[in-house]
Amino acid sequence: MNGCERIREFIERRLDAEWSRAEDESVSSHLESCGECSAAQRKLQKIDGALKSMLAGEAAKIEFASFWVGVERRLNAPQSWLRDWRDRWIVVPRSAWAVPAFILLLLGVLSFESYFPAWRGGVARGRFASVDSIDAHGRTVALLRENETRTTVIWLYDEAEDEHETAEEDPKSGPAF
Amino acid sequence: MEPSDWDLVQKCQAGEKSAFQELVSRYHQKVYMVILGLLGNREDALEVAQETFLRVFRKIDGFHGGSSFYTWIYRIAVNLAIDAQRRRKRDRLEFHENLDGLLESQNEVARDPFGDVHDRELREHLIQAINGLTPEHKAVIVLRTIEGLSYKDIGEILGCSEGTVMSRLHYARKKLQDKLNSFL
Repeated sequence: MNGCERIREFIERRLDAEWSRAEDESVSSHLESCGECSAAQRKLQKIDGALKSMLAGEAAKIEFASFWVGVERRLNAPQSWLRDWRDRWIVVPRSAWAVPAFILLLLGVLSFESYFPAWRGGVARGRFASVDSIDAHGRTVALLRENETRTTVIWLYDEAEDEHETAEEDPKSGPAF
Repeated sequence: MEPSDWDLVQKCQAGEKSAFQELVSRYHQKVYMVILGLLGNREDALEVAQETFLRVFRKIDGFHGGSSFYTWIYRIAVNLAIDAQRRRKRDRLEFHENLDGLLESQNEVARDPFGDVHDRELREHLIQAINGLTPEHKAVIVLRTIEGLSYKDIGEILGCSEGTVMSRLHYARKKLQDKLNSFL
């Protein structure tokens, strides 16, 4: 942080009357020699002054008598604990509808299959939806998934075709005698 | 000799309505200013200010003087204003109507036919710039600028540390300066 940046922090604190005498002396001497920092101070003072005068002008128009009438009317109004509780605790943000809408949409998508069992991704499906097989250390594992009863059959078997294929790959080799 | 806020609070707790009335007369303009600064809407600010005093009246038995009366009342006012702002988000058109109203009334108050056009422009853009701040940043700048409250008091009102107040003030001022640079 350079000297001017530090001084500008002090300027704000001085404007807020939250500064020490030692800081004040260093700020004052810097402001005398630095045009940019003194301009920054002027801008801050101008913003503060404009805001204060604007709101003070508005507040000056609020007469006590009419204000008190409003307060008294509220004091004499029957107290509704339900309204008080609602005002205190229920603050509904504008986009609050988006959360339940998203949850409903998600539930709809997830339960779509239950209501339309014959439909999956636009293609009608049969009794057996899928057969997957994987090779597990020389043995093949097949997974047979049945959709209607949601049953999965796991089928382990040896791959006998490999030997057969190997034998067929080398027909010229002939019998080994 | 004028009774202190605490004297009036105690009388109010004892059931003296006139003491409450005196408290309202002391603080109604200040509370209104703070809320107007936060909401930027005259009618809403008046309503929320009156609601603030209703809450003060109902809760005054629970006030034991642990903090200053003014920090307590400002805390209620700021919380209600922030709630109101979230609840009653006005549409853009209405906000501009309100802006014009505020500026017109400012010109009437000034009663200066040779009023500085530059200052008027600054005020107009100041309202827009403040409206662009978050409620938390608005609250620090309004409490500091209007009431001249200390960082400690502002922290007590907003329920945050002095360091947070300082950094929020710095951020809010920087934002305002950036937006108003050509009018300063």
